[in-house]
Amino acid sequence: MAKLASQAPVPVFVAQGDDAPAETARLCLNSTLTIVETPRAAAILLVAGTIPASLIPNLHRLHDQLPHPRATVFWQAEPTDLLSEAVTVRNDDNLVSVLTDTRSSLLSGSHGTEADLLPDAPPNEWRGVGSHGQGGKGMMGGTPYGRPMAMTAADFRDGLELDAYTADFGPFLPMFPPGLVLTLTLQGDVIQKVSVVHLPFAGEGNAGAALLRLLGLPALAKRLLRGPSDDADFKRLIRLSGVRAAIPPGLGCAPNGSDVRERFERLTTDPGNPSKVHVDGVGLGDLLIGLEWHEAMLVLNSFDDESLRAICANTSSPELEEKNGDSMDHEGHAGHMS
Amino acid sequence: MTFAPALTTLILFLAIGIWIAAILDAVFYRRISGQGGVSVLSPFYAAAAHLSRQRLTTEAPDRLNWYLAIAGYLAIATIGLAVVPFGPETAVIGIKTSVVLWGACESLVVVLVFLHGWSPNSPLALIGAYRYVAIGLPIMLLSMFVLIAAALPARSLDLRDIVASQEGLWNIIRQPLGLPLFLLLGLSLTLRGPFDYADSADLAGGTSVEDSGANRAGWQVARLAMLVGFSAIAASTFLGGYLGPILPGIVWLAIKTLILMAVVIGLSHLLARMPVARMLGLIWKFLLPIAFVDLLLAGLVALA
Repeated sequence: MAKLASQAPVPVFVAQGDDAPAETARLCLNSTLTIVETPRAAAILLVAGTIPASLIPNLHRLHDQLPHPRATVFWQAEPTDLLSEAVTVRNDDNLVSVLTDTRSSLLSGSHGTEADLLPDAPPNEWRGVGSHGQGGKGMMGGTPYGRPMAMTAADFRDGLELDAYTADFGPFLPMFPPGLVLTLTLQGDVIQKVSVVHLPFAGEGNAGAALLRLLGLPALAKRLLRGPSDDADFKRLIRLSGVRAAIPPGLGCAPNGSDVRERFERLTTDPGNPSKVHVDGVGLGDLLIGLEWHEAMLVLNSFDDESLRAICANTSSPELEEKNGDSMDHEGHAGHMS
Repeated sequence: MTFAPALTTLILFLAIGIWIAAILDAVFYRRISGQGGVSVLSPFYAAAAHLSRQRLTTEAPDRLNWYLAIAGYLAIATIGLAVVPFGPETAVIGIKTSVVLWGACESLVVVLVFLHGWSPNSPLALIGAYRYVAIGLPIMLLSMFVLIAAALPARSLDLRDIVASQEGLWNIIRQPLGLPLFLLLGLSLTLRGPFDYADSADLAGGTSVEDSGANRAGWQVARLAMLVGFSAIAASTFLGGYLGPILPGIVWLAIKTLILMAVVIGLSHLLARMPVARMLGLIWKFLLPIAFVDLLLAGLVALA
């Protein structure tokens, strides 16, 4: 079994940090690797670039979500205290050969699997309402097992009382720009509230490829990463894919009038030179509230890094709300999706 | 063909079909992305890699339904293939209402995919589950219109009679709207490309975001099995199934199934996926009326 498994591409989950090497986005072009979209499918956690101190707890939570046998590789980054035994790759090392060697060692057993960094126990104390901590108002809400549950709140579209769910999303979710952490309140998959916990990292960005992946065209996303923006074949495939019809008109309209459709065309025809969007005081709340999840992800990934950071900076943050005495915790915060 | 040889044929057809579907998928993906060739053994390597990793669980999952969803999806795909006739009067499940049985299988796929997203107790998986149900309902309606239209010329709900009724003229010619609409159902049943609202990239894998180890391998195999089952059903309903000159009927069925598998895989890599609300509008306002026209025309022809 181990012999057969070692013939498969190495499944790697990338946790991108600040100042990640420019080659990080192009790792997926290497046929000996598979860049997976969930840590559950990975054998190796690749930490590319520096993880800021405030996000290290997120990295440790992410680490424990990889199945055994697992290993962590730090690429142009210093290992954290809890992962001091992890493999480290400097500038000059051959990353791909280190990754394949590490996976082979994991399969053969010569490289021991990494133990959990955090205790396997509910992170919060049991403080629900009722004899079993099962609820708050009626049969819903409350904090069973220390987990605040979704509680009914009016949906602003039609006033129906549905279950509002609040949680942190990011900073390593593959459909989020790296580093971005948002506190989102969802009704189903519709965004009702948004605040920024951590800004996305500054970097070159690959918004065009990210949009193609979100539109269900990962093979074309890879092709774009190879740099064929003037490839007639690529342009024809993009046109025939019906992308223009798939992206709703007017979605994510910025003050300069550009929407996701327009930004997508610019990002895929000239990915190396994304034009800046004048954000003009627009925050994420203006752009995302009322959108369903898929639309919101398209909007988030349609901006160049600098514009997105400016938009996030214009958005309310939990710290700011606490100062103003307007905390959103009264609805319950359900956890964290790294 | 008696039951035992038919069952053996079904198992071989399914196993080889899954293997070929996995290779075809990789070939299309790598061809479009501009990468090199694919090893014919790559599906086995991938399966071994999944099985070599631990099966992780989540906090307070619904374990029974998690396993049931994966096993049930595979079972439904197998039942779909079992109603397909391999030759005249030969099907593992040879009943007079086989089209109704397949219709029930389609509906159960919606339930099982929902369970797969519900069970891990995880928000992204749950969003994928609910979204799939929202799309599943109108797509099932579309499928029913198309299947009833295909059954009208045979005046029977038995897939064996539907294949036999295409002796002179295949349904793809008689009802040109039917197969394109039915292929959209195939994309939805196999969670692919423009109809993959359950396991899509915007949810980091959706209902399968928490799957690891054997569970992940099982879900991927079940998806491919559904592709084989669906393609064989579509080949029998619209391309005359086992009918064809010189070669044995099972070979004709395999060739037609393979062609339709390639079409579904190709479409899944080449067509963009739109947000759910936009897709719902497209299905209810555009595709369902077309499916109804398909049924109406088939009814008028049957009456004529």
